[in-house]
Formats: sequence, C-alpha cells, structure tokens
Amino acid sequence: MGKTAVQLAKSNNTGTSRFKTFFKELSKQKMLMLMSLPFLLWVIIFKYLPLWGWTIAFQKFKPAKDLFDQKWVGWDNFKFLFQEQQFYRVLRNTLVMSSINLVLGFVTAIVLALLLNELRNVFFKRTVQTISYLPYFISWVVAANIVQMALAPEGIINVLLVKAQLIDHPILWLGEGKYFWGILGVTEVWKNVGWNTIIYLAAITSIDPSQYEAAEIDGASRLQRMFYITLPGIKPVIVLILIMNLGHILESGFEAQYLLGNGMNLDYSENLDIFVLKYGMQMNNFGLATAAGMFKTLVSFIFLIAANNIAKRMGESRLY
Amino acid sequence: MRTKKWLQTGLAAVMASALLIAGCSGGNNGNKNSSSGNDGEVSTEPVTFTYFGFGANKDTMASDTTIGKKLQEQTGVDWKMEYVVGDGSTKSGVMIAGGDYPDVISPVGELAKLLDAGAYIPLNDLIEKYGPNIKRVYGDYMNKITNEDGNIYILPFTANVNGYLSPPDPSSTFWMQRRVLKEFGYPEVKTLDQYFDLIEKYQAKYPKVDGKDTIGFATFAGTAGEFFTITNQPMHLAGYPNEGGVLVDMESHEAKLYQGTEDEKRWLAKLNEMNGKGLVDPETFTANKDQYLAKLTSGRVLGYVNYSWQINDATNNLRSAGNDDLRYVALPIVFDEGIKDAYVDPPSFVNNRGLGISVSAKDPVRIIKYFDNLLTDENQKLVEWGIEGETYTKNAEGRMVMSEEQLTNRNDNDFKRKFGFAYFDYEWPRYGDNSVYDDGNAHVPFNQPEVAAINYTDGDKTLLEKYNLKTFSDFYAEPVERPWYPAWSIEKEPGSPEQLFSQRAGDLQQKYYPRMVLAAPGQFEKVWSEYLAEYNKLDAKGYEEFMTNKIKDRIDGKW
Repeated sequence: MGKTAVQLAKSNNTGTSRFKTFFKELSKQKMLMLMSLPFLLWVIIFKYLPLWGWTIAFQKFKPAKDLFDQKWVGWDNFKFLFQEQQFYRVLRNTLVMSSINLVLGFVTAIVLALLLNELRNVFFKRTVQTISYLPYFISWVVAANIVQMALAPEGIINVLLVKAQLIDHPILWLGEGKYFWGILGVTEVWKNVGWNTIIYLAAITSIDPSQYEAAEIDGASRLQRMFYITLPGIKPVIVLILIMNLGHILESGFEAQYLLGNGMNLDYSENLDIFVLKYGMQMNNFGLATAAGMFKTLVSFIFLIAANNIAKRMGESRLY
Repeated sequence: MRTKKWLQTGLAAVMASALLIAGCSGGNNGNKNSSSGNDGEVSTEPVTFTYFGFGANKDTMASDTTIGKKLQEQTGVDWKMEYVVGDGSTKSGVMIAGGDYPDVISPVGELAKLLDAGAYIPLNDLIEKYGPNIKRVYGDYMNKITNEDGNIYILPFTANVNGYLSPPDPSSTFWMQRRVLKEFGYPEVKTLDQYFDLIEKYQAKYPKVDGKDTIGFATFAGTAGEFFTITNQPMHLAGYPNEGGVLVDMESHEAKLYQGTEDEKRWLAKLNEMNGKGLVDPETFTANKDQYLAKLTSGRVLGYVNYSWQINDATNNLRSAGNDDLRYVALPIVFDEGIKDAYVDPPSFVNNRGLGISVSAKDPVRIIKYFDNLLTDENQKLVEWGIEGETYTKNAEGRMVMSEEQLTNRNDNDFKRKFGFAYFDYEWPRYGDNSVYDDGNAHVPFNQPEVAAINYTDGDKTLLEKYNLKTFSDFYAEPVERPWYPAWSIEKEPGSPEQLFSQRAGDLQQKYYPRMVLAAPGQFEKVWSEYLAEYNKLDAKGYEEFMTNKIKDRIDGKW
C-alpha cells in the first residue's frame, strides 16, 4: 500500500512538473503562440467546421432550410452512387487520368528542371522558363479552345501530319475516345510543366555547390553529376510532393475534361467530378454530391496515409 | 496538377455556406416591405441594383445604353447587368449555396432550382399595391403565372397584349443556303429526302468554295447544353411543334416520348446515310460554339439545323455582309408529303421564363415600380422601337416605320448592344412578341408589315417572288391551337424521378447519337439496337404519365 502511495506521489510529482514545464515553455513562447492563434482559428473555422456539412450526405438536402427541416435518408445517397453503373466507369476514368497526370507531370517537371539547371546561358534559361510556365496562367477555357482549334480536322496538328504524310486524311482527335487520355496528358503537361518545375529548381539551388566541384575534380561527367548529385539532392522534395499528390488521386481535374469532353469521347472523358456535377449539383442533389465528396476524401486519406507510411519505412522524408 | 482543387473547394464552400444559410434563413424571408418610401411616392434618388441573367449576353451597366439611360432618368434606377458565363446550373448552385443573390434574376432554365431554394420573394402584394401596369399586362394570365402555393414569383416575357399578331418571318429549324435553291431553279422542298437530295446534288456540282471544301450539312451538337438541337428534330419532322421531348396527341392529349421510336430512328438513319456520302460535317459532335458559328458565317455550309435564336449573331453577320446568295432560308421540312408542318408556334404562354426579385433585394418596392414603369405603352415602344426620329419614324397614318438605315442599325449586333435593344427587348417584364399597341402598331418592329417589307433585302424579295409568296410565314402551315403549349415549360422538380429520367435519357442520346450518325453504313442497325436496349432500361412510362398528367392539368386551367 505504501508502495502505491509512493508511486502515486512520484507520478503526481512528475505530472505537476511536466505540467509546470509545459506552462513555462508556453509562457516563454507566448508571442509565438499568439501569432499562430489566428491560423489555428482559421483552420478550425474553414477546415473543421465545414465538416458538419457532411451530414448533407445523409439527407435529401434542400438548400436554405434548417437542419431540422431536412429529410434524413440514411445511406441512400451512397447506395445510389455505388449502384449506379456509370459510377464505375467514371471512377476508372478518374483513376487512369489522374495516374497519367501524376506520372507525366512528375517525369516532365523533373526532367525539365534538370535540363534547365544545366543551362549556363542565363538569358536562354530565363526565356525557356518563361515560355514553359506561361500556359499555366491561361484559363482552362482559353486553353481548351486552343487545344480544340489545334486538333480540329483543319487544325495545325492534322495539317502537319498530313503534310508529313504520316496520315492520309485528317483525324478527328477529340472524336475518338481512345485518344482522349493521351490528349489530356499532353495538354496538362503543356499547361503545367513550367509551373511544376519551379519547386524542383528551387530545391536544386539548395544543393551545396562544393559537391559539384568535388565531383568534377573526380572526373564525373555532366550526366553523372545529374544522376549522383542533383537527383539525390532533390529526392526529399520529390518524395514529399509525390505523397501530397497521391492524396489527390481521385482528383483528375475538372475543367479540362469538362471543356474538351463531348458525346463522342464521353466514355473516356467523363470523370468523377463531372458525374457529380451532372447528377449532383445540376439536379440540385447536394446530398449525392456530398456523398461523392466524402468517398473521395476517404480514398484520398487512405492513399495519403499509405504513401506516408511507405516513405517512413523506406526511411525517406515524409509529410508527418 | 495544382489546378485540381476547384471542385473540392467548391463543395467545401457549398457545405460551409449551406450551414450558414440554414442558420440564418429565418431572418431572410420577411423583408418584402423594407422599402425606403411609404405607399405614396417612392424616391427617385439614384440607386444601382444588380441584375443577373442566365441567358447569353455581355455584361454592362444599364446606364451605358441609351434605353437604360432613359429609364434611369425616369426612375433614378440603374442596373449592373451580368450574365452567366459557362455552365448555368453550376452558377445557380453556387448562388443558392452562398445564399447571396443579385436583386433580380432572370433564371431561364434554373427556375425550378431557385424556386426550390426560396430565392424569390412573392410579388402578389407588391403587384397589388404598386403595379397597375403589371396588372394590366398580366391580368389575363394570372392563373398561369401563379405558382401552386398561390404566389407569383416571376413576370414572364410572353404575355400578349391587345390581340395576337403572328410574325411574318417565322423560322423552322432546317436551313438551306440560298444559292442551292437558286442553282436548281427554286424547287419545292418539303420532305427530308428532298432537302438532302438537293444538298447532295449541289455538293457534287460544287465540291469546293474559295479553295475550301463545301460542307454539306452541319449542326451544333458539340456542347452538352445545346444537344437538343439535334435531338429535337424528329419531333418537328413528324409535324409537331417544340414540346421538348414528347409528342402530344391532339385528341387524347397523351404525351408520348419519341426517343427510341421510328421517328428518331428515321432521322438518325438519314443522317447516317448522308454521313456515308461525306455530307455531314465531321465536327458536328466535337466543335464548340465559336467554331460552329465561324463555320456558318464562312458560307461553306449548304444546310444546317438550328433554332434561329441560337445563331442570331451569325445570321445577322451574314446579313450585314450583304451577299444574299450565302444567306440561308428556313424551310418547313417534314418526313413525308402528307405531314402538316408545325413550325410556327401556336399562340402560347411560357410561364417558366421570366424575371423575379430575389430575397436579397434591398428595395423590392422600387424594383417593382421600375418593372411597372417599364410596362407602360411608351416604355414598351422605347425598348422595342427606340426613339422616334432616331431609330424609327411615324408616317402620315401614324404607323411606325423605319428607314433603311434605321433598319440596318436595328439588325446590327453592336448597335443593338449600344442602344440597349439587345438588353431590354427581352428578359425584362414586357409585352409578348405578338402584342399590338392601342394605336394598332405592332409591338415587335419586325411584326409590323411595313417594316417587314422594308426589312427584306433584294435577295429576300427574289426568293419570295420565285416561290410566289408574300412573307416567309407563307412557307408554313397555320398553327393549330394547343392550350397546353409548350410542354417543354413544364417544370420538373429537382431530384425527381422525371428529372433523373431526362438526365439519363439525355446522357444516352449524347453517347449514342454520334455513334449512330458516324457509324459505317452497314453498322447503323447494330448500334441502333444497342441504343434501344439501353434506353429500354429507363422508366419511360413513368415519365410519359407525368407529362400527360401535367398537360391535362394545363388544359383544365391548372398551370
């Protein structure tokens, strides 16, 4: 009995002392705390409070009505979603397009960053960079129009291909479902590659130049320097961004598919977001839209955690 | 990869704000009478309200147009007018979710949704108190503009005042380039086969214009929102007016879907046949609207299918270009000789298009007074005819007429925007197109026989002469009275089985139409049966029942 009392006192003791040190620490950093408070509030208000909105997924939601006036329907919205034939087709499209974007986006951005880094002529480097990230600032509406014009039967792509005698007669690029994923991938790369490159270029600048010098003295070629210094140097950034992007695996984009999609490539272009727009938002079925959103979040969550864990096991940099 | 958060953010915003609305909607609905003035004079102090239209137009300040300026002088009210860009349903969804509405909204296709969300205030009391002109114009239509709950939410655009004057220039959806008719000595073209035969013959004779290939036939089916352009045609070809998806029997008043019927098959089979001969524009299902309109104005297209209001800008531009041979004429095309066409709309009242005041409106009384003021005879003349001596003149008999220059202006897109015709002659409370003023003048300038006659170009006159007709309306059969018309304006409740059916059926059409039209000649039957199999899985019966009931209600006076 005495033993327990001692133990109790002991633990109590450490408890209070921990408590004390916590407050000591707190008061030491009170400016820091004060500064982060607004952001904490921001996160709570804009990221956590809206989670209440998830209740909409279980309602036949009517806008502008009290929570208590809503009709509750249980899992009906989810049932509709998972029983809908189209759902699996759009899910497939979403996953495929998202993966294409992920892989293509990564590879092109990293390659471009490596190449740009090797350029010694600053003027040329700047020019390339500017040109490559300009499309990022064009709205998708304009970008889609440019793509549509280029791919029209009398557009530049068909004209060039016919002139080069690669094809006999113009191809209706946007009218063939099987071309859609490729077109989308290329379009995304064209639009975003410059922008995606910036972060890798920034990461590269943080690599210690003495490493390059040492390698040069040891006789490493340019290619070898890229492979053995630059790439490993930006690896943490690459892994981090990969993890973050895996969290968006069910977001293959919306505008591009919506604007470039048409009846003829519907089977390949329609993704989850468009499906939600058609059967959720446009039909005022916010419950279904929310249910789909929840599903997306859940999948993203799983991917994010899994990727992060794998990175952790492999001893790589990670999100948390 | 960084542009992807659009929808997620949107959804989050929807959820967040939905909660906010839920929290504060209680206080929002009761501000009908929060006006600045009392029952008497409302101040004419300058004020700017916001206007949002779900129709297509360019944003402007009302006071930047001549008409808007005049109306501002009378009332002190100016409008910041905005129009939807892109997808209307998304915009209305965002509006509803945010609960933040402009002062007045012209909902076009979004009415049901906005009503459902309680976006509009009832106008009954306001009209009673402040709207003598509104009562005069809409008096005969009260039961048609009153909702099931007994409230009036919008003022529609089709209330005809003082009788009915049918338009001299109606249009079908089938257009033919005039040089085709000219080439073959202005033959009679009545059936679908004759129409396409003519195109085929002309194309064989002149495969190229200015070094570019002639396009035999084009239509606009590249955008989901306007896919009806191609799906509505079996209805017209079978001799029915635009009821939106169903054919209504004149005797039994049963509504029958024509999707999946012989009518639809016949139309698609014909397109398929034409495509096999290389006459259908390969871009029919992929081009966007800009590309399509550019094609129409290029003069390379021999025939196309469109409602005239979809392509106003293109036809006006062609007209201003001045080459009558390259312009088009609408023809009353039907399937067979024996079918009587129904392209001219019967006298009708569209009750689901209109202008309403939103719950966010700061001063409904001033707005309703503005509407009322807009509905005086003088102001109706202003918005349709403009200013006497400037955009029209009165002849010795007191008839309103236009000089050729005034007419050219009235047809010019830029002038119409600058003067304000493009904004105020539709999508505001107004007299219907078929109205007549007390002095016998037509409300719409082009319905005025004197103007219609001057409006005809030399090419128009030659064409009419060759066919031995006085006006273009003589091409068509007299409309038949349909008391429920038009069935397309029957509102389907958001999320209802009917709406779900429409969406699914529409999805199917969007998917299979291109396949059927572009199928290799021998493959058509196969794709058709695939389409039919898919279509038969849907609940067409339930939809037809719903429509039939609604139509019978309308006949019984329950709108």
